[in-house]
Parts: sequence; structure tokens; C-alpha cells
Amino acid sequence: MATDLASPVTEAAPRSRRDGSGKVPVRTALRRYRWLYVMLIPGLVYFAIFRYLPMYGLTIAFQDFLPFSGYAGSPWVGLKHFETLFTGPDFGRLLFNTLFLALLTAVFVFPAPIIIALLLNELRVSVYKRYVQSLIYIPHFLSWTIVFSLTYLLFAVDFGVIAGWIHSLSGGGPQIDYMARPEWFRPLVILQLLWKTSGWGTIIYLAALAGVDTNLYEAARMDGAGRWRQFWHVTLPAIRPTIVVMAILTSGNLLDQSFEQIWLLTNSLNRSTAEVFDTFVYYVGIQGAGYSYATAVGLFKGIAGVVLIFGANWLAKRMGQRGLF
Amino acid sequence: MTASRRRRLAAGALTLTAALVASACSSGAGEGAAESDTLTMMVPLFQTAPDPKGEIHQAVEKLIGKKLQITWVPNADYNEKTNITLASASLPDVMVIQDNKGASFVKAAKAGAFWDLTDKLDKYPNLKPKSQQVWMNSKTDGRNYGIYRVRPLLRSAVILRKDWLEKLDLELPKTTDDLYEIAKAFTEKDPDGNGKKDTYGLILPKWPAPVFSASSPYNAIDVWFGTPNNYGVRDGKLVPEFDVPEFWEAQKYTKKFIDEGLVNPDWATLDTGKWNDPFLQGKGGIIIDVNVRAGELFDKFKELDPETYDQKVAMAGNLTRPDGQKFSLPFTGFNGIVAISKQRVQTVEQLDDVLTTLDKLASKEGSILVNNGIEGRNFKVENGFAVKVNEEDPAIKVINNDVQFGFIQLGMTSSVGVAGEAYEWMRPSQAEQEWLKQRDELMELDLQTAVHDPSLPVISQTAVDQGPTLNPIPTDARIKYLAGDLSEEQFKAEIKRWYDSGGTQILTELQAGISKVGG
Repeated sequence: MATDLASPVTEAAPRSRRDGSGKVPVRTALRRYRWLYVMLIPGLVYFAIFRYLPMYGLTIAFQDFLPFSGYAGSPWVGLKHFETLFTGPDFGRLLFNTLFLALLTAVFVFPAPIIIALLLNELRVSVYKRYVQSLIYIPHFLSWTIVFSLTYLLFAVDFGVIAGWIHSLSGGGPQIDYMARPEWFRPLVILQLLWKTSGWGTIIYLAALAGVDTNLYEAARMDGAGRWRQFWHVTLPAIRPTIVVMAILTSGNLLDQSFEQIWLLTNSLNRSTAEVFDTFVYYVGIQGAGYSYATAVGLFKGIAGVVLIFGANWLAKRMGQRGLF
Repeated sequence: MTASRRRRLAAGALTLTAALVASACSSGAGEGAAESDTLTMMVPLFQTAPDPKGEIHQAVEKLIGKKLQITWVPNADYNEKTNITLASASLPDVMVIQDNKGASFVKAAKAGAFWDLTDKLDKYPNLKPKSQQVWMNSKTDGRNYGIYRVRPLLRSAVILRKDWLEKLDLELPKTTDDLYEIAKAFTEKDPDGNGKKDTYGLILPKWPAPVFSASSPYNAIDVWFGTPNNYGVRDGKLVPEFDVPEFWEAQKYTKKFIDEGLVNPDWATLDTGKWNDPFLQGKGGIIIDVNVRAGELFDKFKELDPETYDQKVAMAGNLTRPDGQKFSLPFTGFNGIVAISKQRVQTVEQLDDVLTTLDKLASKEGSILVNNGIEGRNFKVENGFAVKVNEEDPAIKVINNDVQFGFIQLGMTSSVGVAGEAYEWMRPSQAEQEWLKQRDELMELDLQTAVHDPSLPVISQTAVDQGPTLNPIPTDARIKYLAGDLSEEQFKAEIKRWYDSGGTQILTELQAGISKVGG
């Protein structure tokens, strides 16, 4: 059975891509690949129950939802909550904060694991390489609360170690309160993200790098390519598809700022730059019991995420790369 | 990056939706009416959940003559869990509602989820309200949807380093000017005697609640200077705390502390959970908070140094403003209510049964059980005070923990800070016993000048709907003003923005509500 399965899969995939369906009748396909379809069922069930069924709850975005009246009993209000959102005083600020943070994440946080992976790849002593690798994974396993506490210890105005260094280096003057100044909020978020996520993010790129055919390097060396040329003409092209796929996947999550991270860093003084859609939804929906309004905000953010992911996919294809779909 | 976020969302949106789906299926079915021999409850918890087979649990069951099924919810998550439980419509028979003015409880109560107990408690001697002021304060939109869990009605106090006061030869503060002088001396005169200028006076934390009136140190200072407590009537009109001339006096006073460096430099960001640390470490010497914090500080100092701990904490009451008038900041006198679900307890007979059970829990025997424990087992009585016995015995430790971190939350007529019919715990040192006495005297004294909040029993629909966007406006503006980010004019512009985006409406609604309640 194993051989029976293995060959058609590898063949079928590219074929159906190239000349579309219609060649193999559905019933024949069903019969021929029945075990594959059976194996698909748990996945489909999972998505149906945990991903699609809860979407029914999105209907409350169009209602004035009252918990005790339920879905059926709550009055329908059409697009009222969306109107409130788009015309409200918070929308512009929320959109700007969310998008700006997303942009910073895309520019600074996304490339970080790629660069680290490439640097690690150039290391010769494999013991050292593995040591560094494990060391930079560790922050991934710490919760945001701990990351926040560490940040506080380093940057607090009174006893923060780094804050103190910078203060003494800059030579006097009033100390900057990094935790409270709105202009320092985004740099702190990006720093935290870099510290916590880049190490973990290298895993996938290191795997891609491990898969590069060593013959290619050998051939390049024969042609007289130095370290830099090998990197530019062999390594980078080899992991380019991985980078593109990761970029498209990330684009869908760009608007999902890490809730806890931002929530913990927010205070009265920096709220103007700190508040994003996610914290706003929590604040209005869970704390303020404005379920419908919060759902409308969340739905808007979800749609924006879908637009981003399709846009990134389209862009990837336009630039001659293979997209996700 | 997304895993933890997803977990949070699972707690929030997803569970919410899933719970809502479940509620849509089950609401109205009326399944699971209260069985007369079991009582289900949801109660906050401060450590690990008590074992249902534990001695205290068994003793309480024996007292009330029913099986108890308690869902213990960690206090930090309690409000969130309450909101989700309310949205799910699968409620326990009886649940503690901590935020009985919060949007989700108001919505649920108005939709008829809980019994209105406004004129139903007279039959039950232990549940009958003992304080009319607190009964009034614990109303939700003019009605009492539960039995209030009593707390001291006046808890505000100024806590100071006693050893520092003595070293600098200073008296306990009586006026706001005294406090300023002490803070200045604590900052500049080296109270810890190490030769370095490394101390400050007042310790201010980042206040977590975005609502303006939140019993924070800032609110205490406002009230001392004569502002309303949250809302108050001036010239026949209802005005908020932050729009009276006295408020600006109070702001200038507070800002002086910050501008002159008499407070901790991280005052805008210091977590309230770490509020004690600078006090214990000898960095700061004044905390304006609830009086029970002094007891907490005694305990912490004891852990650090059992020899001298009783010489480190001093306490003063509310302070007099410069012209000699005194106004005190009272608290609400309760911490949440115990509400009874209409969905589970459907008939008047069943309600009577549940109330009778709760009445037993609030009796003298019940109060002692949930506040002290089992007499002769984990404590004995000396001079009217409870004294712990056999503290080292593991079984006794379990009882003490179950009482202190769990069952005390069931107390309605006696609980944290109010012994009521139960026994006050004996404090080990003379200083602490004196502090307890002083605490009660200050409470009595300051209650005479207490400025109560007339808006407590009423609800403004606009405040419920738009609170999340309106509340932070004045709250953030105050902090920004104190930090020097906003000028007084800009602060006033923010207050105008609060009025324009719904504040005016809130005042109108509260005014109407207050005249209806007759408060």
C-alpha cells in the first residue's frame, strides 16, 4: 500500500496544477485516493468545529447583543457598530498605532531571524553553533509577564540598569523614563519582540539552509566564488522560497500585536501610542461588556488581515515567486 | 509570539463565543434548577482551592445542612471569569459578584438574571442590612441584587516609616502641610542615616483602574482638599470630582511632590503589587492607602527582622487641608455582593430556602467558621481575641489556609477587616495591638467627616456604554498633567472633551437617578 500511495501523490500534485481538473473523474479520484481522503477527515473536522463554527458568533457584530437574550433574542442593528467605530474618536489613533507597529515589526523583526540564521550558518565550530542556537531559543519559552518584568528591571527610571548606563553615558540631565514616554513605547516593543522571537524564528531558516545541496557550493568554489559570492548566489537563492512563504504567512498576522506584551507596557502616559485594536477589543469587550462593538472591531481587524495576506500573495506572484495559493 | 496571544484570546473571544453557543442552546430550557440538598457557588480565591473533603468545608456543610459545591476562581481572574459566566448563562445558584456596577452585571441584572432582594431580607436576622449607608452604596441602579460582603466603611490612611519619623524628630501628620514637610524631610534629611541622599517621601504606584474615582492616593488627596468623592452636588448641580476649584488646589499640591522629587521616580509605572517594596527596602517612607496595608507591612517587616519590626510602621488618618477643614475619603463599605441566580433558583420557595441557608452562613457560628476556623482545633479565644494554636501541624495549616485565602470570601456580615460576630485575630506584638486599636479609633473619627459618593446606588447607561472610551480621558490627563506633559489649560481642554463626548449625558442621567433613589 505504501508504494501504491507514494507515487500518485508526487505525480498528481504538479499535474493537476498544470492542466486543471476534469481529466480524472471525481469518483475515480475518490476511489483511487480514498485513504488520503480518510486521513483528511480529522483535519477537516478540527477546522469545522474550532475555526468555522465559532464564526457564527460574529453575527453579534450586527446585533445589540445581550447575553441573556442570546443570539436569537438580541435585536439586529445592522452596521451601527461599524459606523460607531469608523466615525468614533478612537479609530484613527487605533489604526495608526496598529499599522505603524505592524510596519516596524515587518521592517525590524521579520528579517532578524533570517540574518541570525545566515550568520549561524557561517559558523565553523559546530559545538559553538549549537550552543548559541539553544541559547537564543530560550527567551521564546518565557511568558510576556517575565519579559516585561525584565524590561522593567533594565529600563525603569529609578533602578533600571540600562537606563542608568545611558544616563551616565549621556552625562547628567534629567533621566528619561523609558517605560512611560510615549515615544519610547515602540522601540521597547520592537526590542522585546527581537529578544523574544528572533532566536526561535531561526529554526525554520536553519532547516532550509541545511537542505542546500553542498555540491552547489563545491561547484561555486570551482568557479572561483569566494565566501560572499557563495552566499549571494547559492545560499540566498536557496532559502528565498522559504523567506517568501514566511513573509506571506506573517503578513496575515501583522495586525495581531501580542496582546499581553502591549497590555503590560501600557500606562496613562503612553496610552496615546500604545493602544492598538487588540487591547481596545479586550478593554471594550471583556472589561466593558460591549460584546457587539468589540466583535465589530475584531471583525474589521480580521478582514484587514485577510486583505493583507492576499495582497502579499499577489505581490509575491507579481515578483516572480511562487505564492502560497 | 502568537501562542501566548492565542491563549489569551482563547480565554477571551473564543471561549466567549463557545460559551455563547452553549448558552444559545441551553437558555430558557430551565435545566438544573437548584436541588434543595446542594448549593452551588462561585467564590474568589487567593491561593490554592480548598479540598471539598477538608475540615472547614465539611464543617460549613454541617452548619448549613447542605452539600456545598464551590467553584473557586483566582481573584486576579475573577471579574473576567464572572463576565464570561454571565455571558454563558450557566450560572451557579449563588455567586459572588465583585463588580456589581460593572457593565456586564448591570446588563445581566436588568435582563432578570438575579433576584432583586431590595425588600426581601427583613425575615432573615443575619442578612438584614446592618448599615443603611452601605446598603445604599451596594445598590445597582437603585435596586439591591445581592447581599453585600461587608468591609470597613472607612479604610483610608497615611502609613509612614516610624523609625524615620523618630530619627528626624517629626510628629505624625495632621494636615496636608505636615505631610509635605515630612516628605521633604524624608527626601532631604537622610532619614536612614547612611549619609547618602537616596530616599524619597511619598510612594505612588501606577493605578490600574481607568475609572477616575478609584480610591487611589490621588483621590484621597482630592477629597482632603474638599472635592466631591467621585460626584457631588455643588449649587444644586451634580459635578464630577475633577471640575471644582478645590480639585486644582489638590493637583498643585500633588504636583509639588512630583516636581520637587519627593516621590519615587517611577511613580507613573510602579506596579501596585510592588507598592510595599520601596517602603520595606527603605527607599520611600509614606504610603497613602488602606489602613490594612499597615498590618501587611508589619508582617513583611517581621519576615525581614523579627527583632525590630514593631518599630517601623506608624499610621495617621485622613488629613486636614490648609484652612483647617477636614474631609475624609470613605470606602464603599462592601466588596461586591452575593447574588442569587434566577435561572437556577426559580421559585419564591426555593429562594427562601437559599436565603435561609445563607442566613446560617452569616450567623455567629458561620462567621466564626469562615473567619477564624474551628475553635479548639486551629484557634483558641483569649480576652475576646482569636489566637492561633498548633500552627506547625500540617492539618492545621490546611485549615488556616482554607480559611484565610478561601472561606473568608464567603463572609457577608463579617469578613476581611471587619470581625463582626467573629473574633478579631490577636496581633503578636504590643505595637500591633495598639495599631489595631488606633485603626478602629481613626475609623470612628474620620467617618464623621466622610464625604460619601451619592452616585453609588445609580447607574448611568451612557457611562456603561461609553465608559471604556470616556473613563481614561480625565484619568490619563491627570497623570500627564502631574508628569508635566499637559499644562493646566490642556488638562481643562481634556475635561471639556470628556463633557462633550458623553460626560454631560452621564451627569444628567446620574442626577435623574439620584433624585429617584432619594440619596
